[in-house]
Amino acid sequence: MKLETTGNSAAAGNTGTALKTPITQNFWRRALAGLVRLPLLIYAILTLYPLYWLFISAFKTNEDFFKRPYGLPLVWMKENITRAWDLGHMGRAMMNSAIVTILAVALTIILGLLAAYALARFNFRFKKVVVALFLAGLLIPIHSTLVPLFLMMKKIGLLDTYGALILPYTAFELPIAIFLAMAYMASIPREIEEAAMIDGTGWWGIFGRMILPLSTPIIATISILAFLRFWNDFSFALVFINSQSLKTLPLSLSLFSDGFGTDYALTMGAMAIAVIPTIVIYLILQEQIMKGMVAGSIKG
Amino acid sequence: MKKIRTLGLALLMMAMFLTACGESSSTKNAEGEASKDGKVKLTIWHNFAGDDLRAKTVRSLIDQFAKDNPNVELDAQAIPVDGYRQRLSTVAAANELPDVFFVYAGSQSSELHKAGLLQPITELVNKNADWKNQFLPGAFEPYSFEPNQIYSAPISMSATSILYYNKSLFDKHKVKVPITWDEMMTAIKVFNENKVTPIALGNKATWVAQSTILGSLADRVTGTEWFKNAVAQKGAKFTDPEFIKALGYFKQLVDNKAFQEGANSIDNTQAEQYFIQGNAAMMISGAWTLTNLAASSSEEQMKNIEVTTLPSIPDGKGEAGTISGGAGGGLALSKRTTGATKEAALKLIYAICGPDAQKAIAESNSMVMFDTQVDKSKVSSLYYKAFELVKKSKITPVYDAYLSADAGEAINNGLQEIMMGGSVDAVAQKLQDAQARSATP
Amino acid sequence: MPTAIRSKGFIAIALLPALLLFLVFVIVPIFWSAYYGLYDWKGLGAAKFIGINNYKVILEDPIFWRALKNNLILVVSSILGQIPIALLLALVLLKNTFFTRLVRSAVFMPMVLSTVVVGLIWGYIYNPQFGILNYILEHIGLGSWARPWLSDPKVNMYAISIPINWANIGPYLVIFIAALQNISPEIDDAAKIDGAVRWKKLLHVTLPMVWGTVVVTMVLCISGSLKAFDHVIVMTGGGPAQSTELLATYMYNNTFKVYRYGYGSAVSTMIMIISALLIGINYIVTRRKAS
Repeated sequence: MKLETTGNSAAAGNTGTALKTPITQNFWRRALAGLVRLPLLIYAILTLYPLYWLFISAFKTNEDFFKRPYGLPLVWMKENITRAWDLGHMGRAMMNSAIVTILAVALTIILGLLAAYALARFNFRFKKVVVALFLAGLLIPIHSTLVPLFLMMKKIGLLDTYGALILPYTAFELPIAIFLAMAYMASIPREIEEAAMIDGTGWWGIFGRMILPLSTPIIATISILAFLRFWNDFSFALVFINSQSLKTLPLSLSLFSDGFGTDYALTMGAMAIAVIPTIVIYLILQEQIMKGMVAGSIKG
Repeated sequence: MKKIRTLGLALLMMAMFLTACGESSSTKNAEGEASKDGKVKLTIWHNFAGDDLRAKTVRSLIDQFAKDNPNVELDAQAIPVDGYRQRLSTVAAANELPDVFFVYAGSQSSELHKAGLLQPITELVNKNADWKNQFLPGAFEPYSFEPNQIYSAPISMSATSILYYNKSLFDKHKVKVPITWDEMMTAIKVFNENKVTPIALGNKATWVAQSTILGSLADRVTGTEWFKNAVAQKGAKFTDPEFIKALGYFKQLVDNKAFQEGANSIDNTQAEQYFIQGNAAMMISGAWTLTNLAASSSEEQMKNIEVTTLPSIPDGKGEAGTISGGAGGGLALSKRTTGATKEAALKLIYAICGPDAQKAIAESNSMVMFDTQVDKSKVSSLYYKAFELVKKSKITPVYDAYLSADAGEAINNGLQEIMMGGSVDAVAQKLQDAQARSATP
Repeated sequence: MPTAIRSKGFIAIALLPALLLFLVFVIVPIFWSAYYGLYDWKGLGAAKFIGINNYKVILEDPIFWRALKNNLILVVSSILGQIPIALLLALVLLKNTFFTRLVRSAVFMPMVLSTVVVGLIWGYIYNPQFGILNYILEHIGLGSWARPWLSDPKVNMYAISIPINWANIGPYLVIFIAALQNISPEIDDAAKIDGAVRWKKLLHVTLPMVWGTVVVTMVLCISGSLKAFDHVIVMTGGGPAQSTELLATYMYNNTFKVYRYGYGSAVSTMIMIISALLIGINYIVTRRKAS
């Protein structure tokens, strides 16, 4: 709080020197804000363009897609969407993706946050070893783990179940979850826990009632990253799942390309369908990230 | 102390877990699996997963088989082409191949054979002699790993080197459709002067230029005999002057700006579209282009397109008017499949590659390595022209169906290097080294 | 000490499930793969133990070094590009207004798009025949700069690094915003003060408070850049003539395309070793800076 006072007094000092300035200063501030906003707005539009492009392309014929890549569809081909949906068995695939992704995200959050809290707040022997192990998990390219994981899961009979995706997804996402949560928790003041300790609250109580609510922004962040990774994963879903009834979305997206040619109309249609849930999830979780603001101000 | 105990406990649990894994070793029933109700269990993996006509035809053949054989519990997996190789490699590494599976001609099937994972289907072929004899010469060549044994029957044929050209552009600029190499050079020059790309090429997936252009071109220069010797590394090498000369012709195309700029960073579909929209006068491509164009272009665009063979080469050792091609992918039988399952598996292979099936596949606008008639009304007009062209042309080897995987990559990348101004000799040397490595283990 | 014992129990129960799952599904495969790296194995049939021979071959292969150089371009561009841009955007977009929501979402969107779409769009931008970039260059009198951006080996790796960076700013922005939430009151005040004081505060108060997160994002940048795969596969496939080959694509090709499974596993172990080295260096440098 001390810093805030210095800041305010500095600002007060500035306004004191020129009495007639409030209006002009206001004007300049707004102009400056506008100057910052304009490039941001342009950047935002440019970055949203590919999304817009995906959605207009999803409604084009193949001929139209190549002839007029930037134009609106000549004929709105709603069939692209329905055909992609049917041919790719996307209803079933989306259910599977939802089940696998949601369970894996939940598991990542529970295990990751608990582990991060233990690592961020306590000192114990082998802590550095544990941290180093988790770090190693960040470094391995997943393709080289396919054969070992396949053999291992074959032996424990996990192949061709939801578990064959949920468990490896979670395990591979844990390092990111743990490191992000550790960094975040480091900035939660210890005084909160000390006060609770005096009140007689145990560690589980502190974790559940204080740390978790305070960590909403980072939980939302980890969820977004994990969601995207699981929702879009191709390699694990390709190799560890056999039954048509368990297949996830990314497999449906690659159906319309045969190595010699790609049916872009159907591919774009399928992609447009698959991207909608991720956008919705992002928009919901983005609000959760901002909720930290409230928690933060209470604390201050 | 407690910490150590906890960690020790964790390690112990892990060790137990892993030994448990080790003990419950894989148990695949060798007698041919039968499910509770006495049905024969059979698995097939293939990559006819898409929406094109051929894929739909093959899938319907499989469905028909399932309907006709109620005693077989068929598990058919259609795997997207993009992931097929990776999936098959992974399960092959774990020795968990399905009973019947699609393999590509060339290094994939021969590596699987070398690893002892396949068993021949010779009995099926010999039992149906009529069927065997209807296959075109060379159909079984990529699948005859040992004398008198056949490991697969091709589902389709890959004709990889058809010269597609846009007749109206040739008429408009008064260019003669090239029959000789000089005429080709003239055509390239005239089109370039008129700001029309002479030849469309989409070589981002590196195999394209090799499969569609080099194979035919080189065969005209070196002859087929030389190529087969060079593959075996017996009496011929890829550094021989013949092959240098062949690469030189490819370089001539590059140096005369035959291809559009940036051909190495667009894919085959994009190149086809560039061509069909009239931006390029020619395209050298395989029979797959027929399928792709049929799916994505209007009849109006298609009616300008004609097909022929690549031009002849002055004093080449090989024949002119040939097309590179050969047996396409086929169905292979896993070594572990025996008993009743094996019988059902052979039946399934016949259902997908048999005479009726071959006719159905040919009528799905897709070439087959099988002597059959197609109903002209059932196929696109361009496909019919190409079908007739291929039928009367001699077929020469496709490079990557014969080279080792390593050497295939070497020449694929080498052609891109030449397109970027690299030296012909260095590329030939790399190809030679790679092929020599795999020919002498 | 009852609390100490209770806390030990807590640590064990909090840490062990995650650790166990991680050991089984990540660490075991890592060692398993490293073990394959000691064999001459096609991924099929018999394998032959050859010790560290694969590693010798890797170090002698010029393509490996080119791939490493390309990966380092990505590492540098992501650390110097993604992190500062994301941090700056996070500071500007911290307030929750309609405008900031819009921009934040926009910045994140490339991340939700399939790499295929990103690859196609940038393919159109860079296309030599009808690409937007060359078109603009020609119209502002810089026609001589126009080139086939993805085919020209002199520039194509840099050309590819731009979409990769662009697509990956989103996650870092989200991470920084979450981190800044924790210290939001101070930042809020910083917005009210002017010029030099504001920047000083940013440098001396805000940055140190999120420094832990900055270090984590650097680690993510390094490990992410060394594993980069998808965008390159979609845009160039590692070509032309392997000029945009990355370590991960090099590993993939050897493993699944040319039947050198043992060699591919060794490359993958090399990727881990190099990442660990770079992260170690990064750790030393950032620690010194912080103190």
